[in-house]
Amino acid sequence: MRLLPTLLFTLATPAFAATPDEVTQHYADLALAGYQDSLTTAQTLQQAVAALIATPSDAALQTARDAWKAARVPYQQTEAFRFGNPIVDDWEGRVNSWPLDEGLIDYISADYGNEENALATLNIIATPTFTLSGTQIDASTITPDLISGTLHEADGIEANVASGYHAIEFLLWGQDLNGTNPGAGNRPFTDFATGDACTNGNCDRRAAYLQSATDLLVADLAEMVDNWDADGPARTAVTADPQAGVLAMLTGMGSLSYGELAGERIKLGLMLNDPEEEHDCFSDNTHNSHFYDGVGIRNVYLGTYTRTDGSTLAGPALADLVAAADPAVDAQLKAELEASVAALRAVKDAGDAGRTFDTLIAPGNAEGETLIMAAVNALVTQTASIDRAVTALGLSKVDFEGSDSLDSPEAVFQ
Amino acid sequence: MHHTARILIAAAAMAIATNARADTAAVVQDHIRPGFSAFAEAATTLAAIDSCDLETLRPAFNAAYDAWMQVAHLNLGPTEDNGRGLAILFWPDPKGSGWKAQRALLDGPAPSPEQMAQQSVAARGLPALERLLYPTEALLTDRCPLIHATADDLAATATTLSSAWGPFGDLMLTAGQPDNSRFLKPEEATQTLFTQLATGLEMLADRRIGRPLGTFEKPRPDLAEARASARSLRNITLSLAALKVLALTLNPDSPKTQAAFDQALSLPEAIDPDTDRLTDPQVWLKWEILQQAVRSTRDTAIAELGPALGVELGFNSQDGD
Repeated sequence: MRLLPTLLFTLATPAFAATPDEVTQHYADLALAGYQDSLTTAQTLQQAVAALIATPSDAALQTARDAWKAARVPYQQTEAFRFGNPIVDDWEGRVNSWPLDEGLIDYISADYGNEENALATLNIIATPTFTLSGTQIDASTITPDLISGTLHEADGIEANVASGYHAIEFLLWGQDLNGTNPGAGNRPFTDFATGDACTNGNCDRRAAYLQSATDLLVADLAEMVDNWDADGPARTAVTADPQAGVLAMLTGMGSLSYGELAGERIKLGLMLNDPEEEHDCFSDNTHNSHFYDGVGIRNVYLGTYTRTDGSTLAGPALADLVAAADPAVDAQLKAELEASVAALRAVKDAGDAGRTFDTLIAPGNAEGETLIMAAVNALVTQTASIDRAVTALGLSKVDFEGSDSLDSPEAVFQ
Repeated sequence: MHHTARILIAAAAMAIATNARADTAAVVQDHIRPGFSAFAEAATTLAAIDSCDLETLRPAFNAAYDAWMQVAHLNLGPTEDNGRGLAILFWPDPKGSGWKAQRALLDGPAPSPEQMAQQSVAARGLPALERLLYPTEALLTDRCPLIHATADDLAATATTLSSAWGPFGDLMLTAGQPDNSRFLKPEEATQTLFTQLATGLEMLADRRIGRPLGTFEKPRPDLAEARASARSLRNITLSLAALKVLALTLNPDSPKTQAAFDQALSLPEAIDPDTDRLTDPQVWLKWEILQQAVRSTRDTAIAELGPALGVELGFNSQDGD
């Protein structure tokens, strides 16, 4: 009888004992690969946008839309790197800000507005000069600098999203005017046509905006690749102090799981029955974005990533550290991560079959509510075990949040 | 028979009480359950008013809002389930979704209780009632039926919520027992409450104070909570006082935390409750000092209570954007 616990413990010990140093190095490798893939898929989008502008057609618009959706697959998986890494979190607003008052950028239907944001219906594409906080702005030429330096978060209002995936998404799809009924935005390719073929006016400025916003996205992603490359500051931040790096990993997993994904992006939309509250609201690609967020959270824990070329990364994992500290917590968290990915896959499958997120949150859609709440509950459940992993590894979020009131946590990795 | 049953119940109650950590048990029994029960009572009292006279309804509305401020920071378990907390107080509402939905409701027949419960959370709860009881624009339609439907819905939500804290409170009280899959160790329940304390203070500083504060150059009094009913500063004070109760119930011997709360709580009385006055730099500075005091209270409470309770901060529902 006395042998049994010892035997169980031996069996539960991972095949190789990873060190925090190795785990954080591999984590930085995962981040680098994820941002590299985000960059290359954004470059494909950039070319597709250029082709659309050069020769507008239904086919060219479709190619650009497909490229945008493909670019979201690796990017959403990197969202698990956001919280916990200030270099990523401070930068993220440039590339994935949401929700946005899209009326800042282009024409929208008349019944839309935001009472807190005076610029919510400015329509830059139709407005070459305007006044911002008392200053006259010359927007006669739309450039990446104008977007990032002047327009983005104009007036200090976060809903003034001028750059990033969702601004590009709006320009490729237009407003989704179908409410909670099926159907995405339906912008015609002629919105980018020249001369008399131009619909909705200012097609040259719309094209310039789309190209500038896409160029800016590529530049921003290139910057993040550099941050995770050899000696990049994001890599250094997690590897120089592996213990802080491990905490950053768990913080990224927990904050994305609970407050951001389960709460802000999924449950709130359901509770408001508001299709404007879905993450990819123009393209109706939300089911994919949420799914790949969930996969990204699991990636960080398991130390794995499947690249866009199909190759896979695997190496020393956070799971190995947790398993060594508390096998029960590791087993439970692994099972819960699988469960959340499965629940998010069910939402993705529904979306792929035409029951997109905006239709699932329609008032009275009981099946939609069940699907969505299963995903929310799975994400909330796994957050409790991410907390348990933090505890099992003896880490403290307090120090991490910058409070200098407490002593450093005791080192546990020896 | 009755006698035996009573003994068994007493024994079960004792078993629950002795298995929970004292800090957790005190918060569940002395703060959480009485607080949600009082809110349910206040909401029910409001719903029971037959009149549509605004002056008759407003005191009961304010009493219900006051009661919610005692528990609004306890955003977990039954409060999160089914979005109940959001259905009671959906704020902020930057797109004005609530009023849009309410205008549609005003144009139609009075919604049934079932229909009301299916509405967007933006069209329900205390802010929805505030827009009806403190109208900022003249309405052509009779708002009386919607007032009663909204108040009834709030009372129903509050009553269900209070009941649900029975079983969920038991889960906290039995944290660490073999059949408890929610709280695997006693300290997990304590950690959850400690996290609510820190999150509540953060939310108070960032949102209730931070939104109207805006920047020195651009104060945003229009973004204050409960502005139409002139409750903005009152809600801040009530929230701070309720968080103090939570902190000191969780760990009564917390002199630094108590002093920090008392310091912060001494500030609102010198502030003009009219949020429009925020455009005066002197008033703005007082709000900013209050915000700093709340943030400093959070730091102090984390530093003092964390080690005393032996728990770390957990993830919270406000993580993220």
